[in-house]
Amino acid sequence: MNLLLTDRPLTVSLPEGWEMVDLSQQTIAPCLGCFGCWTKTPGRCVLRDDAVAIYPRIAKSSRVLYVSAVVFGGYDVPMKTILERAIPIQKPYIRLLDGETHHVQRDVAPKDADIVAYGADTQEERDLFRRLVERNAKNMNFTAVRVHYTTMDQLDETVGEVLAQ
Amino acid sequence: MSLLILNGSPRAPRSNSKRYAEAFCRYWRGTVETENLLRGDVNALCAKAGEADQVLLVFPLYADGLPTVLLSFLKDWTRSMGEKKPTVSVLINCGFYEPEQNRVAVEMVRLFCKQTGCPFGSVLAIGSGEAILDTPFRFLVRRKLRKLAGAMAHGRAVSLQCTMPISKGMFLRASTTYWTRYGQRFGRTAAELDTMEIEEGT
Ligand SMILES: Cc1cc2nc3c(=O)[nH]c(=O)nc-3n(C[C@H](O)[C@H](O)[C@H](O)COP(=O)(O)O)c2cc1C
Repeated sequence: MNLLLTDRPLTVSLPEGWEMVDLSQQTIAPCLGCFGCWTKTPGRCVLRDDAVAIYPRIAKSSRVLYVSAVVFGGYDVPMKTILERAIPIQKPYIRLLDGETHHVQRDVAPKDADIVAYGADTQEERDLFRRLVERNAKNMNFTAVRVHYTTMDQLDETVGEVLAQ
Repeated sequence: MSLLILNGSPRAPRSNSKRYAEAFCRYWRGTVETENLLRGDVNALCAKAGEADQVLLVFPLYADGLPTVLLSFLKDWTRSMGEKKPTVSVLINCGFYEPEQNRVAVEMVRLFCKQTGCPFGSVLAIGSGEAILDTPFRFLVRRKLRKLAGAMAHGRAVSLQCTMPISKGMFLRASTTYWTRYGQRFGRTAAELDTMEIEEGT
């Protein structure tokens, strides 16, 4: 399965095998930081909102395309919220990965990832965002990741090009 | 010199951030006020932040970045920022061993400062932050907190970090025990915590 998560409505035609979730149409509360998904009901978040239908799909996808505005060199609130809510797909237990401590994944498909980022106007902000994505790769089971910078006006076009690759 | 401490943890009332902030306050001699961003009144918080000489952001690393609650606040504060620009310092902790894993989040606050014109102050980045306060190594954290408070009081910018002085292998074993005991409190076995299964979704 391939998953496109976006923080804005997009007008794109999805190739075979892709699903799209428009986060602006979902109700997703911020993570409570309770660790219930690791210690009370492992693999299951205590909050029962729209995130519950999304993080299992993140886990299953072998290709992901995340479309997000950039704020302070990171994802804007909608994308950041769902990424935080996705920690039930990891185990509490820790391992070494490239010599660094990281959590063990549950049944999470390794992912080829594309990130389409808009609103990062300076090189400094783009460089920081890229560093964030490279760190995410280790925690989110990305085997490869590409970042594509664009503007809000060009969003549909850029996403279309990435999907066509 | 007035200081406002903002706790950016999503579980602020019962957070490690709260404990780090309290320990910091023991070494701070000026006036200090502490507020939680969680469920706070954004307008009142922005107004308060705008009056302080210094703001210390105390928060956990979340998915390699700022927790959503802090991110939302910084966006709101950017919009309502007045003429007075407090110096912004960072006291961040992360669950993993390496304090360096906090770097990107620290840079995000630095970028916020650059974009809003607030001077960027000092940093203390803590690794193994979920557990270190309940180990004998808490004295290492306190030592760094004292340095942080001293630097902030004198308007010096320092960048400090600390973690447990044990090998990564020992950290892995200790963290396995930590989470297994955590689960036991809810009647869960280690095998249950270790499940590969993720709920099906709908
Ligand atoms: C949703 C979520 C995401 C987290 N992401 C990270 C991370 O990327 N790296 C890390 O080292 N710790 C991460 N942690 C662990 C916290 O930083 C750690 O438990 C911290 O001590 C929590 O501080 P607090 O009690 O002040 O909220 C995460 C925790 C949660 C709940």
